[in-house]
Amino acid sequence: MNSFDLQPLIHTYLGYKGVKPDERVDRLILSCLEELEKIQGFRYHYKIFEDIPAFLQKEPYLSFLTGCSAVILCVCTLGAEVDRKIKYLQRADMQKSLIFDACASAYLERRADNFEAGLGKNLTYRFCPGYGGSDISDIGYIFDLLKPEKIGITLLESNLMLPMKSMAGVIGVGKTAKKTCGNCFNFSACEYRKEGTTCYGSEKK
Amino acid sequence: MLRLGKKVIVLDGAMGTQLEDMGLEGCPEDFNITASEKIKAIHRSYSAADIILTNTFGLNKIKYRGAFSIEEVALRAIENARAAKKSVFFNIGPTGAMLKPLGTLLFDGAYSAFAELAEITKDLVDGYFVETFSDLYEAKACVLALKEHADKPIYVTMTFDSSCRTLTGSTPEIVANTLEGLGVDALGVNCSLGPKEMESVVKRLLAATDLPVIVEPNRGLPKLQNGKTVYELGAEEFGYYIGKFVEMGVSVVGGCCGTTPEFINAISKYSQREVVPRTVVKKTAVNSATKLVEIDGVKICGERLNPTGKKKLKEALINGDYDYLVDEAVRQQEAGADILDVNVGIPKIDEPRVMAEVLQRVQEYSDLPLQIDSSDRDAIEAGARCYNGIPIINSVNGEESVMERVFPIAKKYGAVVLGLTMDDNGVPKTAEERFDIAKRIIERAQSYGIPRHKIMIDTLVLTASAEQKLVTETVKALRLVKALGVKTALGVSNVSFGLPNRGLLNKTFLTMAMTCGLNMPILNPLDGEMTGAVRAFAVLSGEDENSEKYIDIYRDFTPAAANSTLAAKGEDKSAATLYDCVKKGVKGRAAELCEAELLRTEPMVLVNEVLIKALDEVGKLYDSGKLFLPQLVSSAEAAKAAFEVIGKRLPKEGSGNGLIILATVKGDVHDIGKNIVKVVLESHGFSVLDLGKDVPPEKVVEAYQKNKPLAVGLSALMTTTVKSMEETIKALRAAGCTSNIFVGGAVLNSEIAREIGADYYTKDALEFVKVLQTIKRQV
Repeated sequence: MNSFDLQPLIHTYLGYKGVKPDERVDRLILSCLEELEKIQGFRYHYKIFEDIPAFLQKEPYLSFLTGCSAVILCVCTLGAEVDRKIKYLQRADMQKSLIFDACASAYLERRADNFEAGLGKNLTYRFCPGYGGSDISDIGYIFDLLKPEKIGITLLESNLMLPMKSMAGVIGVGKTAKKTCGNCFNFSACEYRKEGTTCYGSEKK
Repeated sequence: MLRLGKKVIVLDGAMGTQLEDMGLEGCPEDFNITASEKIKAIHRSYSAADIILTNTFGLNKIKYRGAFSIEEVALRAIENARAAKKSVFFNIGPTGAMLKPLGTLLFDGAYSAFAELAEITKDLVDGYFVETFSDLYEAKACVLALKEHADKPIYVTMTFDSSCRTLTGSTPEIVANTLEGLGVDALGVNCSLGPKEMESVVKRLLAATDLPVIVEPNRGLPKLQNGKTVYELGAEEFGYYIGKFVEMGVSVVGGCCGTTPEFINAISKYSQREVVPRTVVKKTAVNSATKLVEIDGVKICGERLNPTGKKKLKEALINGDYDYLVDEAVRQQEAGADILDVNVGIPKIDEPRVMAEVLQRVQEYSDLPLQIDSSDRDAIEAGARCYNGIPIINSVNGEESVMERVFPIAKKYGAVVLGLTMDDNGVPKTAEERFDIAKRIIERAQSYGIPRHKIMIDTLVLTASAEQKLVTETVKALRLVKALGVKTALGVSNVSFGLPNRGLLNKTFLTMAMTCGLNMPILNPLDGEMTGAVRAFAVLSGEDENSEKYIDIYRDFTPAAANSTLAAKGEDKSAATLYDCVKKGVKGRAAELCEAELLRTEPMVLVNEVLIKALDEVGKLYDSGKLFLPQLVSSAEAAKAAFEVIGKRLPKEGSGNGLIILATVKGDVHDIGKNIVKVVLESHGFSVLDLGKDVPPEKVVEAYQKNKPLAVGLSALMTTTVKSMEETIKALRAAGCTSNIFVGGAVLNSEIAREIGADYYTKDALEFVKVLQTIKRQV
């Protein structure tokens, strides 16, 4: 993975609203990414469902999945060591922990995208329960169906996942829906848009 | 007849694959009862194997959700396996839940699930086969349960990925050192990879342990076809790789996912072959779950987690403020410690409980191996038991009664033991006498089954002021003891007690001792002179090849920075004033310049004229979008470092701006936002009591009642945990809370804040500070 490709997304996560950070922050980003590469243990687990699982038979999923022939449920994580490193850095160097955290989020996002690129061409973007008015507790259904404990992810009662750098998502098969603002159901409430950027991130257009 | 380690043993193949072929779908363990003839048939089909594993992989009270009781299934499973008329090992798989802090399962919870199995099966099986474990801590719980509830051979295999790490980040060396220490009979690798991909893990295990090594690969890497997992490797090729492993010295071979009787038949020719002998150099090594430190050359053991002479640490231990200890651990790690000593011994404290709690907290943050420092037998055991790895125990000495108390614990948990060369008669004067005690300690250890490489000797430092002539005896004793083939340790800073300029004496003595073979100085790593001496020694002794580590640390060295305690590596050197340091976020220099400024400026003037002004400017730049979160945080950290320096000069009372209690509410584990608030508050002179994350309402109320703070700040990230925030506020109000309650976090806004009964919603840390300042002005 090219670290430079990830930088715009990391900048977005760090709150740089389209402004380029100073050189020192960018250097720190590169060194964080380097460390991250060494300790991350990316794991991705998924299943394809020909019949759309019951918990998705409601809005906003239904509109999202209209026209899909199947659905993929997925979970992925960067593993426990990344979490521990972030915790450690919060004690040792708060600024670095902030940057490391943003790097890890962007890295996870990208690794998941890359993995999904290998699953086929005709796929929607990955939609995560909790966003766009969907109920975050729907993650529980994904856990029931996938049993991602085997890749080391635990779902807490509060619907948070451990390790924290983990994601759960729903992908439609047989329909191309790229991540654009137009097809996002968070369109009207989006914080990024108010500031003139996008969540899937790039410098200010 | 199994002759583990002498003759190669062949295991059976997959159970799941066979069940699938027979069309059995559902809870695999229940088939022991509902389809026992079929299960027996599968076991019989593996009759070419020497050991048959029971069909009980998912049978433990945490994972099993079948229709019968654990006992019913276990008993029938053993009976079924006996049908093959081979040795029967009870198969134990992981609970499927992650242990704390990676998940929610408690160590004791995992332990009791495995202990239950051992109690049911201990008289009915020939051994235990613990497999597919991915978390070293869970494996430890399992091994302890089996050892304490049964008396049968224990074979353990863990699962590694292609980068040779387990799910929780343990390397083959760490797995080998830990499991060997816990006294398993054989250890190895299974599942996840095919035989070809397993080769490097196998090589590393073979080099790391002299215990018999087990290899149980999958039938190659699976492919997904029409939603089904398909394995394609042929039996002959599988057999070829197993043959290679046998030639390398592997003792136990078998097959995991995808393998069938055909595969076991293909490797059965290795059964009863002589195990190929190998030589393993035993090392003195300690490890956490993710870091192994070999005690060789010179390794620094940080001594600061010890309440002796440290008022703040004592208070922290009494109040259960383990955060303070975590910070101290992290500081030492940052400063270059390789191992951390942990001592919680203060009068009237429940030492075993506190030792266990502190070790668990510290290992949650720091990956450095730990040294359990106590004279309380129960505290040592509590620590060794809960520690996820192999610790050092500090210490035993030549006294029989002490060795009797400590050696059995060291043996059971595989710890390295530090032996002090003193006995009932005190510290002997001469090096020769201390050598004799060292010899005695090593011999006694061996009688407990503790090998030489698990012993380190401390030849004891006496103070130069009182016993000047004996200083050289300590060093001389180091040389003598090295001839016994053990590693050495010394608490070096004792030497200078009672003399001026202690640092100079300490450093000089450290250098003398390193030259004579000192491996582990126990010292204060925050003393740059001491760690510097160790780094310099590593260059001069040739340990630091090409001086790489040294150059990396001192690359930016200038004589002017030499007095600075913190290596200001890579910091912005253009920050020449304290104001600039805060504005630009140069932490190391900020503390230093603040010290210098205090020589000519009154503390409060410095606060008002420099720190507050600099922070104000940073705040303005942040608000106007000219400066961003990373800089805001580093400025706050620089200001905090300066405040800490000033805080030492100010009288205790009335120094701060007031106390703020912070907590991430119950159910929520995201705390980066709360931690940013903490740093920013502290940078503005507020003192913060941080209750941490996932904090139950009762704990917040208790802290409120005890401290009556200026404000309580609650953080939540998820909609689900806003409820828990509301409950916390209700509980606080019910307890009569008159302090201002602030809330913040991604899902909150002022509307929700009002609804749940908070006084203020602030969108970020800086706004929090501004509101607080307004409140203070109004008071």
